[in-house]
Amino acid sequence: MPLSGDSIIVPADAGRAKQAFRLIRGLLRHHKRLFFTAVGCAAVFAACTVFSSVVVRLIIDKVIVPRFEDGTVATHRVVAILGLLIAVGVVRAVGVVGRRTFAGRTSWRVTESLTAEVIDRVVAQPVPWHRQQRTGDIITRAGVDAEAATHILNPLPYASSVVLMLILSAVWLLVTDVWLGMAAVAVFPLLIGLNLTYQRRVDRFYDEAQLELGKLSEAVHESFDGVTVVKSFGAESRETERLSVIASRLRNARFGAIRLRSTFEALLDGVPTIVNIVLLVAGAYRVRSGDMTIGELTSFIYLFTLLVFPLRLIGFALSELPYSIAGWNRIRELLDQPLVSDPALTLLRHADNSIELAGVTYNHDGTRDVLRSVDALIPAGRTVAVVGSTGAGKTTLLHLIAGLIPVDHGSITVPQQGCALVFQEPFLLAGSVRDNVTMGRTLDDQAIWTALESSEASFVHEFSDGLDTIVGERGVGLSGGQRQRIALARALVGHPVVLLLDDTTSSLDPATEARVLSNLRDTLGDTTVVAVASRPSTIALADDVLYLADGQVVAHGRHDQLLATVPEYRRLMEAFEHERAEHAAEVQL
Amino acid sequence: MTEPISRWSAVQMIGKGVEAAPALRRGIGATFGLAMVGSGGRVVVPILVQQAIDRGLKKDHVDVGAITVLGLIGFCVIIVATIAQRTAVARLGRRSEEALYGLRVRLFEHIHRLSLADHSEERRGALVARVTSDVETLSQFFSWGALAWLLDGTLMVMVAGVMLAYDWVLALVAFATAAPLAIVLRNVQRHLVTAYDKARSRNAEVLTAVSEVVSGSETLHAYGAGAHYATLTKQSSHERSNAFIRANVIGAFLFPSGEVFSVLTVAAVVSVGVIRGPGAGLTSGALVGFIFLTYRFLEPIAEFTEVLDQTQTAVAGLRRVLGVLDNPIGPPEPLHPVTLPKGVLGVSIENVTFAYRSRGDDEEPPVLIDVNAHIPAGQQVAVVGETGSGKTTLGRLIARFADPTIGTVRLGGVPLTAVANDELRMRLVVVPQEPFLFDGTIAVNLGFARPMLSVPDLEQAILELDLSDWLETLPDGLFTQVGQRGDQLSAGERQLVALVRASLVGPDVLVLDEATSSVDALTEVRIGRALDKLAAGRTTIAIAHRLSTAARADRVLVLEHGRLVEDGSHAELLAAGGAYSRMFEAWIAATASTQ
Repeated sequence: MPLSGDSIIVPADAGRAKQAFRLIRGLLRHHKRLFFTAVGCAAVFAACTVFSSVVVRLIIDKVIVPRFEDGTVATHRVVAILGLLIAVGVVRAVGVVGRRTFAGRTSWRVTESLTAEVIDRVVAQPVPWHRQQRTGDIITRAGVDAEAATHILNPLPYASSVVLMLILSAVWLLVTDVWLGMAAVAVFPLLIGLNLTYQRRVDRFYDEAQLELGKLSEAVHESFDGVTVVKSFGAESRETERLSVIASRLRNARFGAIRLRSTFEALLDGVPTIVNIVLLVAGAYRVRSGDMTIGELTSFIYLFTLLVFPLRLIGFALSELPYSIAGWNRIRELLDQPLVSDPALTLLRHADNSIELAGVTYNHDGTRDVLRSVDALIPAGRTVAVVGSTGAGKTTLLHLIAGLIPVDHGSITVPQQGCALVFQEPFLLAGSVRDNVTMGRTLDDQAIWTALESSEASFVHEFSDGLDTIVGERGVGLSGGQRQRIALARALVGHPVVLLLDDTTSSLDPATEARVLSNLRDTLGDTTVVAVASRPSTIALADDVLYLADGQVVAHGRHDQLLATVPEYRRLMEAFEHERAEHAAEVQL
Repeated sequence: MTEPISRWSAVQMIGKGVEAAPALRRGIGATFGLAMVGSGGRVVVPILVQQAIDRGLKKDHVDVGAITVLGLIGFCVIIVATIAQRTAVARLGRRSEEALYGLRVRLFEHIHRLSLADHSEERRGALVARVTSDVETLSQFFSWGALAWLLDGTLMVMVAGVMLAYDWVLALVAFATAAPLAIVLRNVQRHLVTAYDKARSRNAEVLTAVSEVVSGSETLHAYGAGAHYATLTKQSSHERSNAFIRANVIGAFLFPSGEVFSVLTVAAVVSVGVIRGPGAGLTSGALVGFIFLTYRFLEPIAEFTEVLDQTQTAVAGLRRVLGVLDNPIGPPEPLHPVTLPKGVLGVSIENVTFAYRSRGDDEEPPVLIDVNAHIPAGQQVAVVGETGSGKTTLGRLIARFADPTIGTVRLGGVPLTAVANDELRMRLVVVPQEPFLFDGTIAVNLGFARPMLSVPDLEQAILELDLSDWLETLPDGLFTQVGQRGDQLSAGERQLVALVRASLVGPDVLVLDEATSSVDALTEVRIGRALDKLAAGRTTIAIAHRLSTAARADRVLVLEHGRLVEDGSHAELLAAGGAYSRMFEAWIAATASTQ
């Protein structure tokens, strides 16, 4: 039964049981068959558990009592009854294996489906949506919450088998002996209540302890990070004292849990034993009056003993529920957010390779215009340097042309297709150099090497695994310049019609930068290039300069022209030079 | 310490652990005794059933009175046992948490006093892990593993004792039938651990993939590669599911194998019991009691196999924790401290050679070689040299963050090794390269210099460094939050806080590790002004990264590959035409070519 996603939003005020029901219904949209197989196996387990007490009764009444009181017992009967005992035990074990196997399958397959849904959604949401989210938060929802939400599916078949076991036992006990049965069954709710109370209360201490542990880790991290300061001021003892206070809060939270736990665990052991004693004494009267056999009484006690353990676990199993509900709600929140429309759709297209900006205004979060009425025509095949001080709107301009973010006013007209953007901060994915260049496109090695050579990334030749060398997180460490050159190759390999470079060559040394730029000139042909640049030598190589200040175009023309006619531009160039010189001097020291 | 810690056996390790956390030993005997009594409660039902069957429950005669008396005795035993168990569990838990708290405090103290060489960037995570996750492993062990050893261990001894008392032949039959279970479980357990390790690494892969798709979203959109990477991530998630499902299947056999063994054992015991019959002194009650006892006996075995692994993990955690405590602490405190003379102090560096303590078998090459310099009181000195020349290390030795391997550093004529740490930190202050701020207000960070400072004290210090105008630009003045590691302030502002913080101590010697990060012009001016005020009348040693600083100093020390190659004023060294003049020319050239 496919349930539409929207009908499963859990209102905040819905009761716990209602929320739990909706959670489970939501989770079981997929893989229902696996789940019910697990429940079926759990039912086998429950039935065998109750039935094993019948076998114990048979052993006592039909084997032990005759042998010890009458002197003899038929061998075939002993063999048959013990055979039954073993058979029931084996079937019960099979039930457990089946239950656990299928419960695990269900929960992991559902996790997989949920993760897929979240990932598809995250990937489908365009850049403006991503910029509004906190990265860590999304990662948690996709990576951790999906698993947390499905956690409840693991103990659920077990919990249902416990319920079944209780019902079967209750019936069985009542059928065997009404009075004794009623006494035993009356204790079930008491034990379940005791368990649930305990679980709820102890969870509070555990949560608190977890919170304190987090605070302790944070404080320890900070304190060790600042060890130089600590030592400089001779503050070792003061810091130890400060951290000890936080550690003592953790200890005290644990003390609370221990106090509660020791009491309840002792009670959960003691109470069923006392009930057993009562059953034994009361049962003796029933045996005397001839209402019960010794075997029946013993199997009664035996069954009750068997039930104690599942009763204890049910509280533990259900303690996952709040975490699963919380995880599920966080995932729903993410999935229920409407798809933001793709900014690339707002771009106008034309057959020509030029770029036209008309009255382009971009307003960052509604407070400040990052770009204001920008007009510019970038002719096909030209290289334009976008120049301006920090905050002038250079990067925003590139992102607008790339269609990553939408204009608020005005229009941008770009070629039909084939625009590649190289980011200021190159992002390499965990994977091989090849993967990072192709980004899922089918390309042969020759094309990849050509692109790597144009971007002066021949250092890849020196890696022992060549194109298959793993880079990115946990891969070989690359310098900032090397990363940028691979990112550049990623753009070049697609032979773009428009190439947008966001300060791409800034972390290269001047000689490498010059080689990269001359390679670009040789290979690009009629590609239109828009490059944010801050190195005067780079700017000088461009055909034109688009000079931005405070989100507006101040001047658009040739570099030497602007140097001569625009005094602010000249001052900016001098500032760039100075910065670079200081930097160079530091490197030398 | 004669033997390296890595060679200690688990038993030695636990012994050392108890030594490090003495709270564990207190009253352990009583705890054990109480646990024994508590476990007694768990064999009450089997014994009661046996007694009832043998003494009062016969097919033709039921002695209700005897059974009632037995029930009452059982009841009293249960009450006592329950209280004993509660007390034992509470005692163990409390003692262990107390012990772990003590261990943490010892670790804080010890780690803070380790030499800076042990605090390298790459070791930091490990040190944090020692006090957090490793001690947590121990805590988890105490709240589960240790409890299982205590309660289940005593229970098994108890059950085995009762079985042997009933009938030693049947007891041996039961033990023999059940014994292979331990082997089976051990094997399953071993496979389970590998399977889960694999699953966990798959999980890490999924998290990496997810985090990349999210944090690389702009790149993916720019290259239209979202769908491709989504597919890869889903594939990775599929493999994670497979790995966990596989581990789950193995785990599914763990508990039921105990079930199977218990029915086999019961069948074996009943068969042998029936064959032997009443003639051998066996009673029907004892045989029924065996059925109950068998389950009690096998129950803990499954848990033990898991506990064994947890115990190993805990011992490994303990080994790492003790390893840290085994590291000698940084420069040791003098046994007989010498008081420093009053007034501004000079610094003498005498025949100083320094090599970092090696971690492997290879000798670390020396960072400083036979450096000699006397810095008279009140002199402003700049130390220059390329990265790796040893200038930062020289600053650290002067601040006694480490002691020279050979040679002596003197402060006011007193060897640093003879100066009490507390006094040293009042007389000499380091302003580090990238000043570290704690999450909190500016006031809290300034107060770190000296406890018991008042707000007017802080304001006064800011006024003295001519920084009141800066303070006014801050949204909440002294109570502005600086954020984690001070990230709410600019790099330059963090340096300002560090300068005020240093001035609050009122030191006689300043060691300035100059910042490399660029700072906006206004802050640059403020830093310059504050530095001049702070340095006035103090001996100042600047580890300089900019030649402009060197040009302003009274004296320049030039280090090259750990050796002091030049020593003199800026003008003298320029005239000498050595290493310094070459550096300076290169700098001038770099700045001039672009003008």
